[in-house]
This record gives sequence, structure tokens and C-alpha cells, in this order.
Amino acid sequence: MAKVKFLKHDEIENAALCLLAEYGRKYGEVIEPPVPVDAILEGHLGLAFDFDNLPKLIGVPDVLGATWIQDKVVLVDQSLDPTDNPRKEGRYRFTLAHEIGHWELHRHGFLANACHPSLFGDKPAPSIVCRSGSRKDPMEWQADTFSGYLLMPKDMVLAAWQRRFGSPTPYIAKDEMADLSAKWGLADDERPTVEVAKEMARAFNVSGQAMQIRLIGLGLIRTEQPPPDLFDATSSVSSAIGREGE
Amino acid sequence: MAGNPLFGKKIRELREAKLREDATFTLRQFAEKVGISATFLSKVERGEFDPPKAENIIKMAELLGVDADELLSLANKVDPELEKIIKEQPTALPDLLRTVRGMSAEELRKLTERARKEQKD
Repeated sequence: MAKVKFLKHDEIENAALCLLAEYGRKYGEVIEPPVPVDAILEGHLGLAFDFDNLPKLIGVPDVLGATWIQDKVVLVDQSLDPTDNPRKEGRYRFTLAHEIGHWELHRHGFLANACHPSLFGDKPAPSIVCRSGSRKDPMEWQADTFSGYLLMPKDMVLAAWQRRFGSPTPYIAKDEMADLSAKWGLADDERPTVEVAKEMARAFNVSGQAMQIRLIGLGLIRTEQPPPDLFDATSSVSSAIGREGE
Repeated sequence: MAGNPLFGKKIRELREAKLREDATFTLRQFAEKVGISATFLSKVERGEFDPPKAENIIKMAELLGVDADELLSLANKVDPELEKIIKEQPTALPDLLRTVRGMSAEELRKLTERARKEQKD
């Protein structure tokens, strides 16, 4: 595998949006969430997709997904099967989008180095193994970032926010986060998921945590009170939300 | 859980053919429509697990637009409705089946056509 090329956020976002547009040309434009990640992977990209006991198959603990670039195969650990574990739906979709991210961003590096040693029988070792704790690796970070952009495209999130609140004004989550942190005894650096992120997450079929990260990234949730002159305090959506978590 | 690779391969081929035109034929969505878990379907399609029960196979055939008897036969299963039909005529129907046993597929097809025609008349 060649060294992972540095990619800017914009480049990763463009890759995700291009893929979504290509899918739309084939199967019909995706206007509303949730984004059909399984159809993108299996239908549009033509990758074989299966569930399996990955830690047992690969012999590595905590494996959630693996991609065999040469064989065009993606396996996701069966513990994430949402038909058996509906509560894992968000994690399942994020993992699928993450593996799509590897395919879109990293496959060429693997195709150029086609020789892989065999780890088990006739089946070669997977090109990419994604563990739950391997997020600091640059390649894993890029796939995670891609996943966020694919599952929660900017325009779709902004439109959903606009529909919900009638304006693109951000929600100042500082007080709600402080209340939740106190209630659950969280450390200062931990960010509990606020109610509006959970609500939006249901529409996008992602985890509340993933939705919150995206909303913070888009500036729709603010974790600090902005200076008074930054925007009109009267237009904050705090009142529209009504602090539903309380 | 011996598996049936022929059945599994056939289902995957048919599902993938549908998926080229219809985005709802993904592993997960197809499994949900059939009423089985996606992991189970995945392992059936790869020939690791035995085919599901006849009712699920009939549903698969309906969704994939193929003859249910063909899929049931691949899975070495019989449509549970046949048992019900035989019980409706517990002497005559087993007798008929024993009589036609050994006839070629073509002879059976002609016999079925004749029976259909007589029923219409």
C-alpha cells in the first residue's frame, strides 16, 4: 500500500457528494434522508456485501468492517446487523459508509499493489481492516470523514434544520450539555448528545453522536455562547427547541 | 447448517440481477422483506447455512419473480400447501402420484395440460 495521500475536508466532501450524485443518476436523485448506503455499496458500486463473524474470520479483535479491494468484497461484523440488532442501525450505516469511503478514496493504492499474503486458506487477507479503536490512522480518519459527509450531506442537513426550525440559526447547546454532563457525571471533555441532535439523527438514520458532530461541524450546534455581536441573540433557535430534554 | 451452495448462488444471482434495476434488492432490504435476518441470508447465499423454511422461499420467489417450485426444488423442500392439497383427497391424490411416478417431465406436462383443459370444460 502506497503512503496515504493527504486529503483536505473539501476533497473528501466532494468525493462523497459526487458518489451520491452518480448514484442518483442511476437510481433516482436522493433528496431526503436517510441516504441509502447499502444500495450505494451493493447496487451502484457493485461490491459484494456480507455479514460475518469478523474477529473470528480475521483473527483480530474489535473488527467492525473489512474490505477486499481486489475481490470487490466488503464484510461487516454480524454484531452490527440491524435486522438482528435494531439499536446498532446507526453504527451499521456508519461502518458501511466508512467502507465505501475506503473504496472511493483508497482503492487505487491497493490495486497498484495487488499482491497480498494469504492469512487464511484460499481467501487472501483483507486489504483494509477497520477496528473500533483505529480511528487515529490517517486512512481511517479519511474514511470516517467521508462517512459523515455521505450520510449527512450539507444541503440535506441544512434543509432538514430549516424545516425543523424555520431558520439556519444555530442552537447554543452549552447549557443543555452542562446539564446533561452534571446529570450523568461526565468528565469536562465529554460532550453528551443533545436532544436536537438525537431528533435529527432519527431522520438521517445515524447515531446521535455522529449527527451532533456533523451539526457542530456545520455550525448549527454551538458548544459555546458566541460573542453578543456575532449574531443576533434573539434569533437563536434555543427558544424554538424549547429545551425538550429538560 | 451444512449449507446449500447451489441454492445460495441462485438466490444471490437473482437478487443481484434485480438490484441492477431496483435499489431495494440489497441484502438487508431483501432479508427484511423475506422476513429473515440479513446475517442469515448472507450465509445462506454463500452456501454456509441451509436454505430457510419453505414459506420464506416462496416469498423469495415472489419478490424475485421466479417460479417458487424451482427454488423449493433447489432447496430440497416441498411447498407446504401440497400436503394440504393431498389431505383434501387422501386416497385419490396419492394414488395419482404413484401412478404418474416414473413418467418423463414432458409426459407430466402434457398430462397437466389435459387436466387443466378438462377442468375448464
